[in-house]
Amino acid sequence: MASLIHCPHCGSRPKEEFSIRGDASLVRPSPSASDEEWHRYVHIRDNPKGRYKEHWHHAFGCRRWLVVERDNFTHEVFSVTDAAEAAKAVQA
Amino acid sequence: MNYVHRHVLEDLITGFEGSSNPHHLAVLKRPTVFSVLARPGREADARNVLANLQGVSVRISGPGEWLVVSEDVAIDSLARTLQDSGTGLFDAVDQSDGRVVLRLSGPQVRKILAKCLAVDLHADAFPVGASAATQCCHAAANLARTDQDTFELVVSRSFAGFVFEEILEMGREFAMTAGFSAG
Ligand SMILES: [Zn+2]
Repeated sequence: MASLIHCPHCGSRPKEEFSIRGDASLVRPSPSASDEEWHRYVHIRDNPKGRYKEHWHHAFGCRRWLVVERDNFTHEVFSVTDAAEAAKAVQA
Repeated sequence: MNYVHRHVLEDLITGFEGSSNPHHLAVLKRPTVFSVLARPGREADARNVLANLQGVSVRISGPGEWLVVSEDVAIDSLARTLQDSGTGLFDAVDQSDGRVVLRLSGPQVRKILAKCLAVDLHADAFPVGASAATQCCHAAANLARTDQDTFELVVSRSFAGFVFEEILEMGREFAMTAGFSAG
């Protein structure tokens, strides 16, 4: 249990308690957006190396969705925020 | 018609007899367990109301979310209390039949739990009264420290048999015994 994620609600927990959904930087297109745009949103993903924002679900802890910003090469974690808070910050 | 209450671990505990060793796993026979979820923005008020309830133990299960556990207060009675005191603050659902409460005790209990649990259990990090939603033996569990050498795990009914057997296995080096709690 090497990789620790600092959940804002639960504290330091091993990655085994989480499940990773993927890229957290995508923005859902409007319902009337083109098929091409929806196709990109649903299916097309970059595979970056380095600093990356992901949705993590603390499935075995608080069961909250989190936005984890980390380096997927060194696994340095830069920030962990509750996804609801992160969404509010985007809207504001 | 009579309904006979059978605990889900009844078959696993048959055969464990009499006296308990210093390291013991007690299964609460008929615990009262409620899950409570605060209304948005009322988390602090809800927490205060729960903290003032008599005869119950309040465990953290997420932000604005708790498990209320009791050995003494009956299910009906706690349901009424929570209904009356929670109006506008929180909603409570009875989980007593869906959860199993395991109580581990003994001088080396931390060593036993450390085999399958990734929460720091040192008294400085996890003092008496602390609780956490976490993973125990790969199953979701709510952990609470009820005394210096006593911890309680609340696991869902369907995982209880597995977790029970795993804990006994981990406690074997300390000759851990198991049985239903006297209460
Ligand atoms: Zn958490």
